[in-house]
Amino acid sequence: MLLCVTVPDYALAVASLDDAAPRDADTPVLLADKRDRGRTIAVDAAAFRYGARIGQTIAQASAMVQGARVLVHDAARSRALWDDLLDALDAVTPLVDGEEPGVAFLEMTGVAGRPADHLARAHRAIGGFGLPVRVGFAANKFVARCAARAADGTICAEGAEAAFVADLPVGALDIDPRALSRLQLLGVRTLGALAALPHGPFVRRFGSAGATWHERARGIDRTPFLPRAHAVAIEAAIFGEGTAEVEAQVVFALRVLVDRVCADMECLGKRAGALAIELELENGEMRAREIGLAQPTAQARAMLDVLRANLEGATFEAPVVGLRVRALRLEEAGEALTLFRGAGEPDPQTIAVTIARLEAALGETAKRARGVRAYALEEQFAYAPFSASFETRPSVAPQDDTVGDEAGDEGGTLMPQLRLLEVEEIAVRIAGGAPSHVGSPPKAVLECAGPWRIEENWFSVPLARDEYDVLLEGGALYRIYRQGRKWYLRGSYD
Amino acid sequence: MFDYDYSPMSALASVSALKIDRFAAFSALKTELAARAEAARESTAERCFASGLPALDAVLGGGLLRGTLVALEGSSGRTAIAARLLARATATGLAAAIDTGELFPPALARAGVRLDRLLVVPATTALGIARAVDILLRSRAFAVVLMPAVALRGQVWARLAGLAQKAGAIVLALGTAGAELCAFAATRVRCALDRVLIAGANGVFTRLIGYDVRAQVLKHRFGRPGGEAVVRAMHRSGGAPVRERILARVALRAVGMV
Repeated sequence: MLLCVTVPDYALAVASLDDAAPRDADTPVLLADKRDRGRTIAVDAAAFRYGARIGQTIAQASAMVQGARVLVHDAARSRALWDDLLDALDAVTPLVDGEEPGVAFLEMTGVAGRPADHLARAHRAIGGFGLPVRVGFAANKFVARCAARAADGTICAEGAEAAFVADLPVGALDIDPRALSRLQLLGVRTLGALAALPHGPFVRRFGSAGATWHERARGIDRTPFLPRAHAVAIEAAIFGEGTAEVEAQVVFALRVLVDRVCADMECLGKRAGALAIELELENGEMRAREIGLAQPTAQARAMLDVLRANLEGATFEAPVVGLRVRALRLEEAGEALTLFRGAGEPDPQTIAVTIARLEAALGETAKRARGVRAYALEEQFAYAPFSASFETRPSVAPQDDTVGDEAGDEGGTLMPQLRLLEVEEIAVRIAGGAPSHVGSPPKAVLECAGPWRIEENWFSVPLARDEYDVLLEGGALYRIYRQGRKWYLRGSYD
Repeated sequence: MFDYDYSPMSALASVSALKIDRFAAFSALKTELAARAEAARESTAERCFASGLPALDAVLGGGLLRGTLVALEGSSGRTAIAARLLARATATGLAAAIDTGELFPPALARAGVRLDRLLVVPATTALGIARAVDILLRSRAFAVVLMPAVALRGQVWARLAGLAQKAGAIVLALGTAGAELCAFAATRVRCALDRVLIAGANGVFTRLIGYDVRAQVLKHRFGRPGGEAVVRAMHRSGGAPVRERILARVALRAVGMV
């Protein structure tokens, strides 16, 4: 049996709660998504009567409702308050499903007491928040929600769901307005009338969604109850048990802590997606790092490899006297689906450790390139962090925007490759409007292609240059360009 | 007077028998050696990483050998061949490239390299490059590792060659190979431009659309060196007439490319 706790127009209720400005209880209230050029996302009953609707601009809604109070939605505040409310409901039962702000379901099966007692406990738990709360009790989510909407404290006895919802309007199903109007045109105005329709023809007419509507009209709801995960802290620390002056000692201590953390995660059935490590130095300084794992794991070996790779080559001003390791981004356990990884595909954890070692050794993170649509050569690509988890099966999808119809010639030909050289000014002699000699000492130009004009960024820092491909005596192929009166070397074909 | 265990006739018979035994033994030895050579050829073929360029694979005896150090030398065409090998590697797995600032990923993508499977490691110093390649090979996750042919000590090249063998990866070193790299590379290929392809009429419509690369195998530990292959690198001409500019090999020889 489920208890439904609902706060009608939750966002509007939170904004009204936080509104410190004095106003009459009858003053219409509008809730906008933002202050400047925002749109209404909620209106109260008074504003609705005057013609304000969701989706109107603030100006439109204010014109409809003279003297309305306009509030701005604070999503972070709404979410935080909702989390606090769910935490408070933990006092009623530990199984709380509250993914949607404004509606929470509590699993009361096995909790001692009568339904009326449960309703009273729920009111006591969240009464201090100052929000208008309605509570209902029924066997499934849909009926419990209808009970809460009907009136605060409504109880639907088990087995009486169909009779309970029979007189409710079809609007209680929260369906698409077009589908709703179609049902009303067909003369179906209550859930009881909908339930009386034959199931098969109804589903054929309205699709798979119609099957769900028909079931709910009969008081059946198969939506699963998904209780939220409780916040747990899994960490282990060593402080005041000596000093570690060499890397091997720190790694030894890390191994002990990682083993403890993994043991705790195993007990709770969790795995971590990241680790936080804090080192306290003898001079009082604290060094903290957050290290992401390629994929959530509870294996000590994988965690230790990543930690060790991150600390390779790290130097500290003083010996380490304290160490703390905390597991972050916890999720329900279950091993990674390595069964479904191909035999030749690398382990993402191995890649993550390799990237960590490269970063520790070189001081720069390894990355992957991606194409960017641009005309200037140096702007045609950008770099992004290399993700260890990726689809390694061959794909026929194009890789990036710059790959046109020239890519992937599997025959006996190659694709010309350009090597970008450091941009340097070069000496170029012109004859007949085209480069005739390049460089110092000058080399004759055997063939010249171009120019290709590139003009970009006229609105900020303008870029205007003429690019040429030149073949020099000696067999070298270069890309050069003229910008203003100067010539520059850009790349060579290799 | 003399008590011989054998008569001259029996001695003659035993010598004949000995000759027959030796002949049989020699035949058996030849058969054994042939079988072992065949087995070695088969195992080499399995370890070959084909470039997909028939001419080049033919002179390399099927392709480059996995688990070896390969030096791509010369002036032009090395990166084009390396891009083809990276494309083959990223089709089924991962590859890595050490970037000293000269990498141009859009051209690699046009050659078929999957950029989402190419790990780009920025490194500029010789020590940094060596450490990066060391880490990449130890992971055993990359089929091909591309690096510039920087000046490293022989011990470093020896270690990288050993790691490549254990990892079964190909390390492509692009650039002028020093004596140490020449010694430890299992394959050395020298590339040079043979001819340049031009499309379009003279003037602003002219486009340099490609070039022929002459690849000469200078060293091939598991095959026959000395072979030459000419491979074409070319964009699509878009229907415009294509003419060729043959680069004089006399001129190339003068600058030490041939």
